[in-house]
Amino acid sequence: MDWVESGKMAVKTLTANKMRSSLTMLGMIIGNASVIAMVGIGQGAQRLASEQFESLGPNVLFISPGSNQARQRATNLPRTLIWDDAKAIASQVPAVQEVAAQKQGQYPIVYGGLNSSSSITGTTPSFLSVRSFDVAKGRFLTDLDLQRNQRVVVLGADLANRFFSDQDPIGKRIRIRNVSFQVIGVMRPKGSFLGSNQDDAAYIPLTTMSSTLTGRTSPYGLDVTFISVSAKNEASVPAAEFQITNLLRRRHKIVSQDDFTVQAQKDILQIVGTITGGLTAMLAAIAGVSLLVGGIGIMNIMLVSVTERTQEIGLRKAIGASGQDILVQFMIEAVLLSAAGGLIGTGVGVGGTLLVATFSPLKAAISPAAIALAVSVSGTIGLVFGVIPARQAAKLDPIVALRSA
Amino acid sequence: MPQSTIVRLEGITKVYGMGDTTVHALAGIDLMIEQGEYCAIMGASGSGKSTMMNVIGCLDRPTDGQYYLDGQDVAQLSDRDLAHIRNQKLGFVFQQFHLLPQLSALENVMLPMVYASVPTAERKERAAEALIRVGLGQRLQNRPNQLSGGQQQRVAIARAIVNRPVLLLADEPTGALDSTTTREILAIFGELNESGMTVVMVTHESEVARCTNRVIWFKDGQVMQSYLAPEDLGTVTAA
Ligand SMILES: Nc1ncnc2c1ncn2[C@@H]1O[C@H](COP(=O)(O)OP(=O)(O)OP(=O)(O)O)[C@@H](O)[C@H]1O
Ligand SMILES: [Mg+2]
Repeated sequence: MDWVESGKMAVKTLTANKMRSSLTMLGMIIGNASVIAMVGIGQGAQRLASEQFESLGPNVLFISPGSNQARQRATNLPRTLIWDDAKAIASQVPAVQEVAAQKQGQYPIVYGGLNSSSSITGTTPSFLSVRSFDVAKGRFLTDLDLQRNQRVVVLGADLANRFFSDQDPIGKRIRIRNVSFQVIGVMRPKGSFLGSNQDDAAYIPLTTMSSTLTGRTSPYGLDVTFISVSAKNEASVPAAEFQITNLLRRRHKIVSQDDFTVQAQKDILQIVGTITGGLTAMLAAIAGVSLLVGGIGIMNIMLVSVTERTQEIGLRKAIGASGQDILVQFMIEAVLLSAAGGLIGTGVGVGGTLLVATFSPLKAAISPAAIALAVSVSGTIGLVFGVIPARQAAKLDPIVALRSA
Repeated sequence: MPQSTIVRLEGITKVYGMGDTTVHALAGIDLMIEQGEYCAIMGASGSGKSTMMNVIGCLDRPTDGQYYLDGQDVAQLSDRDLAHIRNQKLGFVFQQFHLLPQLSALENVMLPMVYASVPTAERKERAAEALIRVGLGQRLQNRPNQLSGGQQQRVAIARAIVNRPVLLLADEPTGALDSTTTREILAIFGELNESGMTVVMVTHESEVARCTNRVIWFKDGQVMQSYLAPEDLGTVTAA
């Protein structure tokens, strides 16, 4: 039995029944396309998240209230982290360069007839350098603004554009939660971070935020949502992490469980990697199931084909085909079907991934490993699911086969 | 030319089923068919003709008995070896033609050579030769559904002889054809036999049997009479 002839024969048989062959392949096409697209999209999400955290810079550390466990459980975060903690870190931890405290909120902003509900950040002057933000126009908050509880605001680029378009916003007054604020500056565009637009935001003095918008809610002092710290350099990050933890434990009189969490960029990246990696694996597993279903579809059609072609099998045996020849013939057909479906599915998957990459922020990437896996898996599926029908064909009794008219 | 024995059957039986429902399709057949013979097998429906053709054609194994094909004991051969024997030594023609619909006439005739590992170039050449021999030289590329019944049966005959078998077996080859076409097909069998091919053919029609030079008469799985001359046929069918 020569392979070229068997291959040609299989192609001829499969193309003789185009409709059925393409419907059979559809299972493999969908299976392969979804594996490749899902893995591509999952890895894209992973990359996007990592890149965004990487853009924070390797020196940055975040301190947030509540222990890791507590934060997973609680919806109302404890208000144990206060501004004085930030000040203490700035003055007492040698590995630290600068410290910015932040208090987050979302309030209605009104200017003239326009209004918006935007993210309001109450913060300190060092926010700019710690978080690598920049002012495009006017100025940022100063220590004096904080000391005097000034009602001044620096607008994010999008918010400024929405309210003032081509007017100069500096010196104008807007109302945040019905309190009048004077615009002193506009930020340089920063883009979005984890899906939230950082340019649709407004920055006011931390003290003003606490006294006029949120009110004091912690018994310990001026509570903050989190503290961003920049270490002196990348090498001093572990030292900073250790020193901050010690300092806060002392300040908070911790005896057992910490009521705060210190995370370096590396820690966050690791967590993000774990979460998105798990997500990718789950997507791939779901897509893998459709690959399996595609394989079962092939087996199903091949079984039908064996029944339909009983006479052909009988005839082939009568003119000298051995059981093995018949087995090989049907195996080739199954493998061709699944491999062709696999290839087309790969094309569709790659196309879909590229489409997602172009039209969404997800940096969906084509993973050569996923392609290799999907194509080899679909070939194997053809082999595995082709065996049962092929063996059934091979062991047909030629007389019975010929007689079934 | 010294005659050699192509088929030698000794005490061949074929029993179907078991217990109360056993059918003795072949009930002890002793038969010799010599090189160059042209035999017709006749008998009532269910008398075991097809069963015997299947045994002779190595498509089926007898329940008991000895079978020598072209001097070789084939009773003990494996399925694989039997497939090889069918491919090399035997040619089959069936009532329903059994051509593969997706293949052209030429490709259908090439098929036995695929299993014989004949080189590709030679396959085409020999298949075309065989088709010319049965008078279908103009229809090499036609699919079976583009051919008449008689033409399809010619393709089947070409396929049966293309590997130059020692024995050509035909089970009611004209059963699905009208009388004119039947005569054409019989003419081809006659020519093949004249060129030395041993032919065994099952038929229900005495006109067909009359074209052969030996008639083997079956009844209840046994050979009743083996007439050497077709002239005797008239008396039998009249009886
Ligand atoms: N696979 C089988 N199982 C059981 N009985 C069978 C089988 N094949 C044939 N038979 C029986 O064996 C006997 C001989 O059958 P066979 O087909 O050889 O007859 P035949 O002479 O060719 O008949 P016809 O002229 O109708 O073709 C019949 O009684 C038939 O019912
Ligand atoms: Mg019969």
